[in-house]
Order: sequence, then structure tokens, then C-alpha cells
Amino acid sequence: MNWIQLLLIAAVITLLVYLLRSRRSARAKAWVKVGYLLVAVAAVCAILRPDDTTLLANKLGVARGADLLEYALVIAFLFTTLSTYLRFKDLELRYAQLARAVALEGAHAPEQSQ
Amino acid sequence: MVRIDTPYPDVWVIVPAFNEASVITDVLADIRAVLPNVVCVDDGSQDGTGDAAARAGAHLVRHPVNLGQGAAIQTGVEYARSRPGATVFVTFDADGQHRIKDVVAMIDRLATEDVDLIIGTRFGGGAVSHTPPVKRFVLRAAAWLSPRSRALGLTDAHNGLRVFNRKVADELDITMNGMSHASEIITLAGEKHWRVAEEPVEILYTDYSKSKGQPLINGVNIVFDGLLRGRMPR
Repeated sequence: MNWIQLLLIAAVITLLVYLLRSRRSARAKAWVKVGYLLVAVAAVCAILRPDDTTLLANKLGVARGADLLEYALVIAFLFTTLSTYLRFKDLELRYAQLARAVALEGAHAPEQSQ
Repeated sequence: MVRIDTPYPDVWVIVPAFNEASVITDVLADIRAVLPNVVCVDDGSQDGTGDAAARAGAHLVRHPVNLGQGAAIQTGVEYARSRPGATVFVTFDADGQHRIKDVVAMIDRLATEDVDLIIGTRFGGGAVSHTPPVKRFVLRAAAWLSPRSRALGLTDAHNGLRVFNRKVADELDITMNGMSHASEIITLAGEKHWRVAEEPVEILYTDYSKSKGQPLINGVNIVFDGLLRGRMPR
């Protein structure tokens, strides 16, 4: 095993531990955690036996394993971007509701009402 | 309806305002000469718009931070619908581009016709239109491109002048904080089965209102927000 493999595996495991430790809404996140686990296993396999990615790529009609990884990366990136965007929109809405509640609390009626 | 000392005691005008200090006093005075119940939503202005609005005799609700016009309208409607006796609601832009005359005509029409929501249109039959040609084309295209607007027979999707009844005010739930709320209101009208009508109105394109208007490129944002709206948790 060379050094780069060791470093990459260490990174994957650290990331996995870090991600699995977050425990917001346990049930909804459970499948996401299973997903992380599968990705981590696949990552370790790909690090230890890089040529296997080419084998898999050929089965899928792609010439090189590196290309296959890149395609997967692009898809993952798009997915992350969109889910981040939606999450921000959701936060923006909650933020607006909070600001609205504060605003209505401090509403100011004119001195002499008609 | 009990006639107190105004013919419109049950009408509430909602004026969202962001940095409009130079015009807000006159706009509110014009409205209050006819319609005394005005709530100005100061959307986090930095120029004293809120203080000017309070001095002009309007009810004032102040967003602690700038949220956008859609959020300001929602806040104003929530305030107005909590006021005793409120039955008719008006949204009115703070830059002085609408005419009180048109509002009164719309209020009278809401009282006599079987409709829940009346939206102003720049492109109605009798109304004089001073809309710049490019803007005119884009606005008409926007109305035509939206299946919902087409189904409701609407010609001007982004007019800030609206008059609606209690049912619409109670059910209104704008989630698009920015400028996409106009299309969102149309979408809500479809979902909640509000009866919608249009009223030809005149827009006063002063240099000031032009400078405050949204750039046409913002149309891209509006289309994009519309596509994603259905996927948002409510």
C-alpha cells in the first residue's frame, strides 16, 4: 500500500465518523447515513484497487475508471447544489416568518385613530 | 356597513415601502385623503421611511431587516386582517405609480360583483398605457407564458395594485419574499379557487417610479422561482 492510499482512506473514515455523528431528525437521516456508509466502502475499494473502477467503467460503456468517477462527481455536485439551494430557500422563509413576528409585535398605530 | 365619518371604514390599504422617504409622505397623504386605514410596511429602510410613514398617520409595521416586497405584503395583510372590521384589502406600491381613482373604482367593483380578487392591468381596454414598449412586451409575454394567468384571462401579471376580500386575505400565504410574489398570488388564486377579475388602471411612470422599478432581467428570477415553488416545503 502506498502513502496516498493510506491518506485517502484516513480521510474517508474521518469524514464518515464526522457525518455519522450528526444526529438531527434521526429517522429521516438514517437512510442518508446508510448512503454515506456505502459511499465510504466504495471509496475504500476504489483506493485499494484503482483498476476495478476501470473494470466497472467498461461494463457501463465508459473507457476509463477516472472518467466514470468524474461523471459521478458531476452528478453528486449538481445534487448537492440543488439541495443546498432548497435548504437556503427554506431557511429564508423561516427567517422571514421570524422577522414578520417581530415586526407585528412592534406594530405602531397612529396616535389618534379615526 | 355603518357609515362613520368615512365611506370606507372597512378598507385597509397595504403599502410596502423600502427606502421611499422622499415620496412616502405624499403618497400616504393622497391615500389617506380617501381611505384613512393605511398600514405601511417599512421593509428595513435605512432612510427614515418608517418615521415619515408614521408622521403621515399610517399604521407602521417595521421589518427589522430587509426581506423583499413579497414578504412586506404578507406582513401588511397579516396586520390588516387582525384589525377589527377589516373586510376589504388593497395593495398599493409606495412609489406613487398608482392612482387613488383606480383603487376606488376597484373597491366599488368588489362590492357589487361576484369576485374575490381584482388585479390592476396596464393593458385593459379603456386605460391609457404609457408603458415603455420593451417593458410592455415582456410583461405581456410573462402573462401569456404563465398557464395559470392564461387560464384566468389575465393580461398583466405584475401589477402592484390589487383589491381583495376577507377570504383572500385569510388564505393569502406568500412564501416568495422577493419580486416573485406577483406570480405566486396568481398561482394561489388558481389553487384556492379565488374568483379573479382585472381592472384597467393607469400607471404613472414618473422618473422616480422608473428608477425604483425592477430591471427586466429579474424576469429570469421570477420564472426560476416559479418552477421551484412546488418543491418547497410550506
